[in-house]
Amino acid sequence: MTSIVHAKGLEKSFGRFRALKGVDLDIPRGAISGLIGPNGAGKTTTLKALIGLCDVQGELEVAGQDPRRARHKLMEEVCFIADVGILPRWLRVNQLLDYVAAVHPRFDRGRAEQFLASTDIPPNKRIKELSKGMITQLHLAVVMAIDVRLLVLDEPTLGLDIVYRKEFYDRLLNDFYDGDRTIIISTHQVEEIEALLSHLVFINKGEIVLNTQMSELEIRYSELIVQSDKMAEAEALGPIYQRKTLGKHCLTFEDVPREKLQPLGEVITPSVADLFVAKMRQDRVLGEAAATGEAGHE
Amino acid sequence: MNNFSVRQFAMLLKRELLEHTTLFFYAPVILAALIFLFTAWVLHMLPGDELAIAIEYVAVAFDGLSPRDMAPLFMSLSIPFTLVFSICAVVYLLSTLYQDRKDSSVLFWHSMPVSDLRTVLSKLVALIVVAPLFYIAVLFVLYLLGIGWMTLLGFNYDIAVAGLAYLLMAALLSLLLVYCSMVISGLWLFPTVGWLLLFSAFARRAPLMWAVGVFMLLLFLEDFVFGSQFLANWIESRSNPGQYIVFDIADLLPRLFNYDMLFGIAVGSILVGGAVVMRRFTD
Amino acid sequence: MMEQVRALLLKNRYSVLVTTITAYVLVVVIEGAVTGREARVIDLDNPYFELNIQDFEEFRDRRERE
Repeated sequence: MTSIVHAKGLEKSFGRFRALKGVDLDIPRGAISGLIGPNGAGKTTTLKALIGLCDVQGELEVAGQDPRRARHKLMEEVCFIADVGILPRWLRVNQLLDYVAAVHPRFDRGRAEQFLASTDIPPNKRIKELSKGMITQLHLAVVMAIDVRLLVLDEPTLGLDIVYRKEFYDRLLNDFYDGDRTIIISTHQVEEIEALLSHLVFINKGEIVLNTQMSELEIRYSELIVQSDKMAEAEALGPIYQRKTLGKHCLTFEDVPREKLQPLGEVITPSVADLFVAKMRQDRVLGEAAATGEAGHE
Repeated sequence: MNNFSVRQFAMLLKRELLEHTTLFFYAPVILAALIFLFTAWVLHMLPGDELAIAIEYVAVAFDGLSPRDMAPLFMSLSIPFTLVFSICAVVYLLSTLYQDRKDSSVLFWHSMPVSDLRTVLSKLVALIVVAPLFYIAVLFVLYLLGIGWMTLLGFNYDIAVAGLAYLLMAALLSLLLVYCSMVISGLWLFPTVGWLLLFSAFARRAPLMWAVGVFMLLLFLEDFVFGSQFLANWIESRSNPGQYIVFDIADLLPRLFNYDMLFGIAVGSILVGGAVVMRRFTD
Repeated sequence: MMEQVRALLLKNRYSVLVTTITAYVLVVVIEGAVTGREARVIDLDNPYFELNIQDFEEFRDRRERE
């Protein structure tokens, strides 16, 4: 499979703050990839860099182009929806359609109108008069009517209620995704998109901490609900994370064969949310270890 | 230039006009309404025989003049319009690359396949070429009202003001001259246009303060450090309205194609180019 | 080398501003020094038509005398 996104050693600083510290990222064509990380981890910066909305240092190729050189060319192949309503608030709904129709060579106006007809959005209203959910619906309607190869979504459903969120992802999967297009979604509401992802990327403090296929996830990661008498044995295998739910100990393992775990209790595949917490925790522990290690040298 | 690219540019122009209806449309309409009301009030206060004398005076003054000679007189009515237009132009230039960064809609505009150069060019064309059309359209309505009213009064007092057709032709000719003057001033002041655009694209807040502040600083620095006043001279050499008001169609080409005009456009393009590059930084 | 200079000049908003203004001021100052620029004002007088209040006052007086 060829990559639609290829990034190597992306760096970005805002003043003294290093938002990206050498991000390497490869996303194959046709993937639905989740970019997941805590607030301030560099999700938005990474996504903006991919579509040329933010200058970064490093090697970067998206849909065969360098987004820093030919943003407008790239935008014929790529679309973007952001967390905050970025649609111009003074424009009317039908003026927005007029605009995109005239400006975007791959926009199918009829299709956008068809999508809008199934919503409550009045075509004559100004965008500032619409609710946040409607603005997102509108943006999605516009984007889905554009025949692009890559769709970048930055926290697209932030601040929406559950009905809108569910509908948003249903639409995306049923009406946009065709197996050939690529979608990159950043969010911290992991549970909601877990089922649709084919790839998973964790980012923390400007670094990629995990980049894997979902199908590989169950091979590399396992969660052991340990029998209380086997606790010491399980801990000896080096879990990356431990938690206690309903009086049971759950241990998360990385690259430990399931055959070794099976005798110790029930083995399941961790949920993305649990794995996320585990990886973030591991990252912090490693960070602290490095810090104390440095302190020890002095 | 293929068909699509022409259509795209036309839409970019339309976009500018839709966003700035207040500056390009309501401003001249309100101004015209104010002028109309004020004139009506003055005429209402004037005693009848004074009015008759005034009209007769105009009739005598216009007597034997061709529309071409009358047109510059009509132009005097355009002065308040060009003043309001220049204020609106400054407001437009300072906000056009600033406002969309502030409300983050720049992310949407940037997610469309339109280059920054094209965007900035569309803004320049909208301001310099298209916006003056709205101003003269409103002015035309005002002229029609004026001519109609003079003719009616003329009948009333039995004074024949120069033939209606002549007056109309003079009005149209003067509109053409006003339009040309507005376009030529936009080109003549291209360095100023570029300067304002540059700071509109640069400032995170208060673009006007930046634009004026940096300029003052440069003037001050040049005077203090080098003891020369090239920048001040530059401004002075560009700030006489006589350099860009056209009173006759024959003046048009000499005003457009002279060294000073072309140099101004060239050097202003440096600033516009800076604004285009600056546009990459959306934060 | 050229790439590095380019990257430095276009690094952020401030460097773009400084680069642009420097280029602009240099061109203006050099042109000013070379041509000895002065204001070249084209005659503002309206060559075709004069209408002023004094004329009107005279006109009214004359008419009232008649």
